[in-house]
Amino acid sequence: MNNTLNPRITRTTPVIVQGISGRAGRLHSRLMKEYGTRLVGGVSSRKEVAEINGVPLFGDCAAAVKATGATTSVALVGAFDLLAAIEEALAAGIRYIVTPTEGMPVHDALKAKRAVDAAGAIWVGASTPGMAIAGEAKLGFLPNDALIPGPVGIMSKSGTLSYESGYRLAMRGMGTSVWIGVGGDAVKGVRYADLVPFYAQDERTKALLIIGEIGGHEEEDFAAACIAHKFSKPVFALIAGRSAPEGVTMGHAGALVHGSHGTWEAKRKALEAAGGTVFGSLNEMVEGVIQRLR
Amino acid sequence: MYLLEHDAKELLTKLQIPVPPGTLVSDASGGNVALPAGPWMVKGQITAGGRGKAGIIKKAATPQEVSEHTRAILGRVVKNRRVDAVRIEQQVAGGSEAYLSLMIDAAAAGVRVIMAAEGGVDIEALPRDAIRTAVAAPDASAIAECAQELAAHFGGVKARALADAGAKLAQAFMASEAMLIEINPLFVKADGSWIAGDAKLVTDDGALERQDDTRAMLHARATAYPEAALKLEHGCDYVVVDPEGEIGLLTTGAGLSMMLIDELRAIGLKPYNFLDVRTGGLRGETTRLVKVLKWIGEGKNVKVILINVFAGITELGEFSRLVVKALQEVPEVKVPVVARLVGNGLPAAQQVFGAAGIALYPDLDDALVEVKKHLNDREGVKG
Repeated sequence: MNNTLNPRITRTTPVIVQGISGRAGRLHSRLMKEYGTRLVGGVSSRKEVAEINGVPLFGDCAAAVKATGATTSVALVGAFDLLAAIEEALAAGIRYIVTPTEGMPVHDALKAKRAVDAAGAIWVGASTPGMAIAGEAKLGFLPNDALIPGPVGIMSKSGTLSYESGYRLAMRGMGTSVWIGVGGDAVKGVRYADLVPFYAQDERTKALLIIGEIGGHEEEDFAAACIAHKFSKPVFALIAGRSAPEGVTMGHAGALVHGSHGTWEAKRKALEAAGGTVFGSLNEMVEGVIQRLR
Repeated sequence: MYLLEHDAKELLTKLQIPVPPGTLVSDASGGNVALPAGPWMVKGQITAGGRGKAGIIKKAATPQEVSEHTRAILGRVVKNRRVDAVRIEQQVAGGSEAYLSLMIDAAAAGVRVIMAAEGGVDIEALPRDAIRTAVAAPDASAIAECAQELAAHFGGVKARALADAGAKLAQAFMASEAMLIEINPLFVKADGSWIAGDAKLVTDDGALERQDDTRAMLHARATAYPEAALKLEHGCDYVVVDPEGEIGLLTTGAGLSMMLIDELRAIGLKPYNFLDVRTGGLRGETTRLVKVLKWIGEGKNVKVILINVFAGITELGEFSRLVVKALQEVPEVKVPVVARLVGNGLPAAQQVFGAAGIALYPDLDDALVEVKKHLNDREGVKG
């Protein structure tokens, strides 16, 4: 675990998009820029295109970083190209990389994670809508309707369930501070527990909402980290998959229950032992968060 | 994908792991099955542990006993899984038992090696000091080295066998891009040679496209791996969570879809399926939606279909047009459809669904009131 991880970005953080000339690259680089992200360039192997969405294109990350001073990258490339994209970004000096792509092979993710840790960089993903600082900038494609500035830090394994949660909170006037989609894969970059020290000291975060899923033990590790760091802000949690059958993967590669491991009940117990509140439904979560923070 | 023991052993054999000779039988009448030399084990093939306790693993001393056990085991239902095949395998003569497994350790970004000098037992039930475990970097030589260090604690032929098995399994683990390989028991002979008694192998669905042997296995026995086969072929996740379920779900996003199932069940409703249709992958075609609607149509008690989509990026106007078109292409699905949509392009979707007579609500609670009305009003209606 790296205690110095800081996932916050600002309107001045220089960002490139790897794979910018693809369908997703073109769309999301435009949407990010419109939201306020400082997009400074794109990486594409298609030499005939010089510019997309008003930013220059480069043949590789090294050239893009050299010309633009980018520190941060959003990689919108295929699942089998992700490891190479991450390695290329790290070699070019990128310190923060977000990879929304679903279906990254697990053994590739192991190698990527080791490379990211060795470089002391931050990796958010894979299988994530990305991250956002509401009202400022975003990396990826969290929906604008769910993004209003406020006191709740969000960390989520699920894109859609976090959209729904953030949106319902926003409809009630409750906004977010730093929203990180850690993603639904088992092996990934940033995990809940890694960011406990950050959220503890982040002044704009008054409470933390964990949107979890059955499978693995990230929620349990997070609970242990809260205890270890004496995390004193309110912790709320919503965990999907309470009624999922054992041994069947429910969409997300990480959401697989085996025996007594990764069950909803085990996660609830761990989070409650760390002082957290686990809600049974979206409606209860919204009411609970609003009551506590109003 | 959690492989059946037989498939795991076929795959491991290709990767130089010794296993007892065996054959797969799915027909109780027997026919002309070429058995290996006896005596035998008759092992029911399901993807779950505890098969011995459940009575679907039996010893057989004669070919007649093999047939009797095969007949008795085939068709049994254990842990909600039907036994469609047995592996008839030569019993391993002599030797002592040990335990060896390799698994992905997500938090450590490595491969965890676990060993014990006892085998054939529930590893979690062993006392902590009976187990040796450590995490290695994700490459075959690091895992082999780690296994060798752990094995040294056991002494004698077991140390030699576990170190050798660790090195060979490390190769197999990396080559097959496994999530888990567990050999329990691992039989160790007096001369230090070893053989995999049982084998549990979980592969990475995400790597299937570049794992030809695993993919071939999946294609050859798609009925044994319905979810993985479906994902590979259709690009979406679909699981029947309750064959008696009354509400078909057309949903996107794994987390929100799971949560919806949890919430429906919590208020006493019976969802039929889990679905992450991946709206982003529809690409203007009805193909995937038509498939999904047909699958949902197979639910004999399904009385209503609930669409629930939070569109962050998806354009709901286009999505709703595709849904209406897909519904027209499956006239056999006659149950009413209730939609809850929110997000990008909602006004366009309201027009499209309005014209098609599909009730649309931006609020999930309102949609559920409508769903309940259909559950109360109707007996199962199907074409």
